[in-house]
Formats: sequence, structure tokens, C-alpha cells
Amino acid sequence: MNKRLPAALTTLIALAAFTDGAAQSQPYYEGKTLRIVVGLGAGGGFDTYARLIGRHLGKHIPGNPTIVVDNMTGAGSILMTNHLYKVMKPDGLTIGHFNGAIILGQILGQKGIDFDARRFEYLGAAVKEDVVCGLTKASGITSIQRWQAAKAPVKLGGVAPGATPDNSGRILGAALGLPVQVVSGYKGTSAIRLAAESGELAGGCWSWESMRATWRKGLETGEVIPVVQIVAKPLPDIPNVPLAINFAKTDDARNLILVGVQNSSAFARPFALPPGTPGDRVRILHDAFHATLKDPAFLAEAKKARLAIDPITGAEMKQLVADVFKLDAAMIAKLKAALY
Amino acid sequence: MLAEMAGAFASGLTLVFTPAALGLMLAGIALGFVVGILPGLGGPTTLALMLPFIFTMEPAEAFAFLLGMAAVTATTGDITSILFGVPGEPTTASTIVDGHPMAKQGQAGRALGAALMSSLVGALFGAFALALAIPVVRPLVLAFGSPEYFMLAVLGLTFVAALAGDSLLKGLVAAGLGLMFATVGLDPISGTQRYTFDQLFLWDGIGLVPITIGFFAIPEIIDLAVRRTAIAREHFTRLGGVMEGVKDTFRHAGLVIRCSAIGAYVGIIPGMGGSVTQWLAYAHAVQSSPGRERFGKGAVEGVLGPGAANNSTLGGHLIPTIAFGVPSGVTMAILLGAFIIQGLVPGPSMLIPESRGGHLSLTFSFVWTIVIANIVTVAVCFIFLNQLAKVTRVRGSLLIPPVLLLIYLGAFAEKNAFEDLYLVLFFGLLGWVMEKLHWPRPALILGLVLGPLAENRLFLSTDNYGIEWLARPWVLVLIAATLAGALYPWWKARSQKRAASGVAAEPAAARSAGSILFTLTIVVVLGIAMWQSLDFGFRAGLFPWAIGFPVLALALLQLVIQAWGKEKLPASGLTLSDPGISAGVAARRTAGSIGWIAGFLAAIWLLGFLIGGTLCTFLLLKVGSRERWPITLALTAGAAAFVYFVFELGLRVPFPPGRLFEWLEPA
Repeated sequence: MNKRLPAALTTLIALAAFTDGAAQSQPYYEGKTLRIVVGLGAGGGFDTYARLIGRHLGKHIPGNPTIVVDNMTGAGSILMTNHLYKVMKPDGLTIGHFNGAIILGQILGQKGIDFDARRFEYLGAAVKEDVVCGLTKASGITSIQRWQAAKAPVKLGGVAPGATPDNSGRILGAALGLPVQVVSGYKGTSAIRLAAESGELAGGCWSWESMRATWRKGLETGEVIPVVQIVAKPLPDIPNVPLAINFAKTDDARNLILVGVQNSSAFARPFALPPGTPGDRVRILHDAFHATLKDPAFLAEAKKARLAIDPITGAEMKQLVADVFKLDAAMIAKLKAALY
Repeated sequence: MLAEMAGAFASGLTLVFTPAALGLMLAGIALGFVVGILPGLGGPTTLALMLPFIFTMEPAEAFAFLLGMAAVTATTGDITSILFGVPGEPTTASTIVDGHPMAKQGQAGRALGAALMSSLVGALFGAFALALAIPVVRPLVLAFGSPEYFMLAVLGLTFVAALAGDSLLKGLVAAGLGLMFATVGLDPISGTQRYTFDQLFLWDGIGLVPITIGFFAIPEIIDLAVRRTAIAREHFTRLGGVMEGVKDTFRHAGLVIRCSAIGAYVGIIPGMGGSVTQWLAYAHAVQSSPGRERFGKGAVEGVLGPGAANNSTLGGHLIPTIAFGVPSGVTMAILLGAFIIQGLVPGPSMLIPESRGGHLSLTFSFVWTIVIANIVTVAVCFIFLNQLAKVTRVRGSLLIPPVLLLIYLGAFAEKNAFEDLYLVLFFGLLGWVMEKLHWPRPALILGLVLGPLAENRLFLSTDNYGIEWLARPWVLVLIAATLAGALYPWWKARSQKRAASGVAAEPAAARSAGSILFTLTIVVVLGIAMWQSLDFGFRAGLFPWAIGFPVLALALLQLVIQAWGKEKLPASGLTLSDPGISAGVAARRTAGSIGWIAGFLAAIWLLGFLIGGTLCTFLLLKVGSRERWPITLALTAGAAAFVYFVFELGLRVPFPPGRLFEWLEPA
């Protein structure tokens, strides 16, 4: 071996130490880099919200840290959420953004989940996910009455077990006795939309906020009709579309709709910190997160991108998540039977 | 209507020719240029990193920026593929198969000229196809449903015959292995885990980026390390010129146009991106050119076909994205995000003139961006080409460390998943063995990229239509095309054999222990896979069974043929290296280089990318290759600066800290 090797090594390590050592200045976040890690792919809905928030979050945090948004995809965001729980440091420098549907997955014993959703420090969410079922005029199912009377199962598009379109369709079938066949395996709601337009499917159920934007033309021309909404009170722009819950005849049916779809809407798109993040940093980030959601510059860009903003606080979210864990075993069994 | 279209076409050009849009396009081109050349770091990764910058741009500017970047990566990616045998982009892997042998023969200039010129033709064709498709695209795409997509995937699989090389049997087994690798992950219907070994990172399947990089780059690095020469072994000056390659493009104009069409039209289908079309185009080049034994050894047609197709794919790809908001690949999914950020809703309104509330001019500005970006890129490339080609004369020992570092960096940066590095190593070794034993790697890749599409659409077809989908008119047409595609090579081979009967007999068959061992491994692994698949249940198990059992039978047949010593191998095919290096030396150097490649990964794991990568670059240069101090230090410093300034500071890739530092850190 070469004699000068140790010297070179020392230099290298010194170099690394230099690059790693951040200045110890007064506000904690000064000179720091704060990451928002999105558990889903770049360019999608989750990613777009995170990137938009990331553009404005820094200036609301004392010390004005650099904000970086990156993606860690895999297993419908379970991969990232496990990392957030077990691997990422609770130093207040990492915010995770994942699909809240996997919280229900934890209760139902979905495989691969290695986190306890109750222990995250929630910052809240920028928007709720209000589910509406849109069906094509060509399918003949133009109202819930026609749906109830349909002879053959109505084909709704699905993505994968546990995803919103799958859950919503299956819950409608189980709770309301509607003839439904969820055809799962489409690569996202855009593929479902295309299949519905080509006549392969009757339609699908997913967030109204996304449906009204991406299917605007179809909705305007009446080629696509919002047939039923799975929400607590009618959405302002579709006041006359009936509520699913009103067709539920038993308490069990009502509960299935509430737990399986409706109540999850508020924690569908959570921003959360690893468990054990110091309380003062959680507070700083929570306040900054919600200040961002009110920031006029942020709102202008959200408006341009047609992204709805309807904030949920961290405390509200924590409560809603805790509530789901109070379900009794009988209800969990019924949910499992309906969804899987 | 026509006048309106023409008006929008013209105003699309004016949208691009504003100072801001043009400036941003040039910035995008410059970025795409570099990203395309760097192996590993791919177009989609960079597009995602650039998304935040477009919030404040106007729509025409944002798309000039992003599309300018996306449009050129396939062109400059070809450069890396040809010069180093390392795919610059996953979509340019096929250019390696014949382009890199050309570089080794000292014809790098000609290969580059051919790749660039065919890329330009392909890009223009794709843009043209996009412009022409705009009025008719909606009914065209809506006529196709899941059954037709399934049949298209099957039709694509018949191209394996052309990719099979010496032995159709090996080609079929390799394609079958690719299809089996494609089943790794959650099955798309029931969510059952298949071959995931309880590893979450395998849930979404094996990423195409680590596979392509490992599969093609690692064998090339081993080869370079064993030979200890520059990439170019011979120096031809007469044939090596760039202009010769340009002329080749026009000599084979028909092929280039047909491959451009393959790229553009197959690219329309969701799920079939450049990673598929390049191989279809390559297969078409093999099938339609005289002398198929020239391929894989430096046939210029093998460069022209994929060169055109991977560029024309972008135009085709944009069609469903613009007209329906349905992304046909990763790049398009990110562009769709750009549409959202800009407040644009892809769909019918993109095809309606501005005067009626649509965005047709903007859509046409995409066409212009692709055209301009490619012309600029190719022009710039031509200025530097002869200089670039000289890289092939640099000695391999100086190229290996930076290329290895780039491969690992790129594999990580795609998904920020460290596990992908293990996949690079695994598929690298698999690719190396396959190359040495004359198993066709392209056939495996084709199976891998078409597998998920085929399975997904097969189930969607059956769920939606029962068995009746088989009777749909387009399905019948595609079944006929598939049969024709499958039978044509067989018929052609038969008639050629008849014509050539009586010519010299095949070289004496040789039995090789390594070869038999590899086939045996395939049989055993497939057997275990089949046994495991019994737990999958019907829905998740059907596809692995339908593929696995026939492939197992074919692999057994191959094993029997080999064990009986009946395999026909090219005479030169059994040694580890070229003549001039003794078998012992070659074996020692091979083992050494594999050790370095694995050690590099281990160092990154232990010390992190910056320190581990830098340290290994240093050790490889100083200890491994005994380079002189000045050049060692300069290259090492360059590598460290590159990782730190470009990846850590510039791109802010979240590198994990080395394990060692985690252990040392107080709890």
C-alpha cells in the first residue's frame, strides 16, 4: 500500500466533515435544508401540492430554510411512510406526504405496513378528498335510481385494492346494494377516464376536485354525469347530486360509508413529521404550514393550477385518525369483507 | 377548419419565438444535453427536479423549457451508448448493440453521425406525426380498448424472434425470463405479492433504469478492465468519419422512416415508451436488412433504427397526454404535472383554436419546440463530434472509475432508493454471464417491458368483456398480424436455408461447463419460482403460470441440447476475452474487476456517496490501475467536486449517509 494513502484519506474525511457541519446560528432552521418527501410519483396530484407548498413554506419559518421536495415512491406510498416512521430522523427537517388511505390499511391489517399512524406528528392537510361517482351518459346510468334498477353490474374503474376508486365502488355495492363490478388494475384515474370514454367502463369514483378539473369537458357537455356523492353535505357546485349516505337503510350501511369513504376524506392527503420530533419544531412547522396555506402568493399560484385549498389542522387530523382506531372488531370485519 | 389549423400552426411558432420562450428552451436543451450524456441520470428525474421552476412561467415558456429538455435526451443518450457501451438513457440501450461495436472498431464517428442524423429524422417525423394526428386523434385512440392494447403487446413480443440472435430457443427463454422478472411486485389486480421476498422496494416491480444500466454497462466495464486498452481497438480513419454516418442515414432512408413510424405510432399506446419502441425498431432493422449475422457486430442499420425510433416516440407519446390527459409513460406523467401547474386541462380543449376558447396554438408550439430543439442539438453535436469520438482513444483505466460512479449515482437518483444499486449489480452480473454465453440480452429486456402491459390488459379485457373480446374486429386484425409476425421469420429462415444449402457446415459443437451450469441455474430458479407461485392464487398466479411453465420446458430443452453437446456456438464465443490475453490472466482480471465493481458499491454503502465514491475512485486509479499521482488526484478531485456540487448542492439528491457514520453517531 502507498504511504501517502492515510494522509489522503484524512483529507477526504476532513472535507466531508466540513461539508456536513452546518453553522450553529440562532434560529434552528437558519442555513438548514428542510425536505418534503412525497411518497408518490412526480407530476401527480400529491406531488403538485407538495411542490407548490414547498415553494412558499420557507419564508414562513424563522431562519428561512431551503425547502426541497423529492419523491420516494413505492407500494402506494407505504414505502415512504415506513421510512418516515422508522428511518428518517425526528429532527424537524423532514416532512412526509403520503396517501392517507393506508391509515385505514393499517387498521385492516394491510401487508407491508410497518408504522403506527397514531404516532406521527401531523401538520394537517391542504385539502380534503370528497369522493363523487361520475358515469358516462352512454352507460345509461344517468341517476342513482337508474343505477338501482340496473340489471347487469355497472362497471367502475379501479386502480388497486385499497385505492380510493376501488374502496368507494366496493363500499357503494356493499352498503347500498347497488349492482357494481369494480374492474381493478387501471393505471390511475386518467386511465379510468379514458376507458369510460371508449365505452369499456361506465365510470368511476374519485375526488371531485380532480374529476371536475380533468373531466371538465365531459361534465360540461353532459357526456359525464355526477351520479352520487359520498360526502357529509352536498358540495357547493353540485348541490342536487344525491348523497350516498341518504340511501343507506341500516346503521351498518351508514357506518360502512362513513368509515370506508367519508371520514377518511379529511386525512386522505396528510403532511406529517416522524414520531418524536421535538414539540417546538412541530409548532414552528405547523404554524408555517398553515400560514403558507393563507399566503396570497401561494393562493394565487394554487388558483392558477386550479388546486382547491381547504385546510385541516394537525390537531383535527390527529383526532380523526385516533377515531378510526376506536372501531370495534365487528365493524373491521365488515369493512374487510367489503373492501377485499 | 383547415385555415384555422394553419393559423394555429403558424401562431404556435410565434409562441416559441419570443425571447423568453426561446431562452428557456435553450436552457432546457442545454440541461437535456448534459443529462442525456450522463449515464444513469435520466430525463424523467431531471424533469421532476425542474418542475418547481415553471410555476412563474407562461405556458408556452414552461413547455418550451421542459419539452426542449425532454426532446434531446434521447439524442445525446445515443452518444454515451455508442462511445462507452453504457446507456446514456434507458431509451438508448439498443443503440449499444451495434453502435458500440462500431466504436470499438474505430468507427465511433460514423456511428455517431448515423445516430444523430437518424435521431433528427425521427424527431421531425414524430413532431410531424403529432401535428397530423391532432385533428383525428380522439376517435383514433378511443377505437382502442384494453383488448387491443393486449394484442399490441403480444404483437410486440413476436419481435423476440428477430432479437434472438444465434438461437431462437435461447431468445424465447430469455424473453420468458424477462416476462417472469416483470411479474415481480404486487400483481395489478388483487395486490398479491409475487417474488418480493418481503422487500417493499420490489412491490412496484423491478425498475427499468437499474436493470438497463446494470445489464449493459457492467459487462462493458468488465470487458474494458480485462482488455486494459482504450475503447477503440483499431484505428480506422477512412471509414470513421461523421459524414459517412450521415450518408448512411440517407442510404437507408426507407429503414429510418419505417423505424420513425414505429416509434411515433407505438409511442401513442400508454405503457409503450421509448424503452419498448427502440427494441421494436432494432428488431425491425435486423429483420429487414440483408445479412442478419452482421448484427451485434457493428451493423450501421442497428444504429439507425433505434436512433430514429427513440426520438420519434416523444411525438407519439404526447398525443394521448395532450388529447386525453392520459400519460403514456413516466416522462409524460411529469409533463402532466406541468399542465396542472399551468392551470391547463389536457383534453379536447388542447385541440380547439384559441378563438373558440381552446389552446391549439400552444399544442402546435410543442411541435415546434421538438423540431427546433432537435435541430439545435444535432447542429451543436456535429461541431464537437469528432472531438467526442476521441474519448474512445482514452485508456480504459481512466474511464472506468467515473463511469462506475455515474452508474451508481444515476441508479440512486432515479427513485432515491439505495436498493436499486443492488439491482444494478445483480443485473450487471447476469448481463455479463449472458453476454459471455451468447444469450440475447435484448430479448430479455423486451419481455420485461412488455410483460406488465400484457398482463394488466389481459385481465382488464377479460374482466370487462369475458371471452368475447377475442371477437372484436381490431383484435382479429391484430391476431392476424401477430401470426404473420411470428411466422414470417420462420418462413424467411427456411427459404434462406434452402437457398444456402450445401454451404460449409456449422463449426464443431462444443460443450461448455459454464454454459450448462448457467442453463441449469435458469431451470432451477424457474422451478423454484413456479413452486412459489402455487401460493399466489388464481388471479395473481395465472400469468406467471402461463409464462413460467412453457419457459421452464424450453429451458429444459436447451439444457438437454447443451448437455448432449449439440449447441451451435460461434467459434470464437467461448473464451473470456480476445486473443492476446491468456485465459489465466483474463480470468484473474475478470475476477478483479468484478471485485472492484462490488467493492465500489460496498464503499458507498459504508461511507456514503461522497466519501465512498471519491475514495473508490482514488483507490481504483492509484491502486487498481497504478496511474500517476497528478492524474489520479485530478480525477479524484473532479469526481468529488462533481458529486458534491452537481448532485448534493445542485440537484439536492438526498444521499443516505454512510452506514459507518450511523454506527459511530451517538444514539
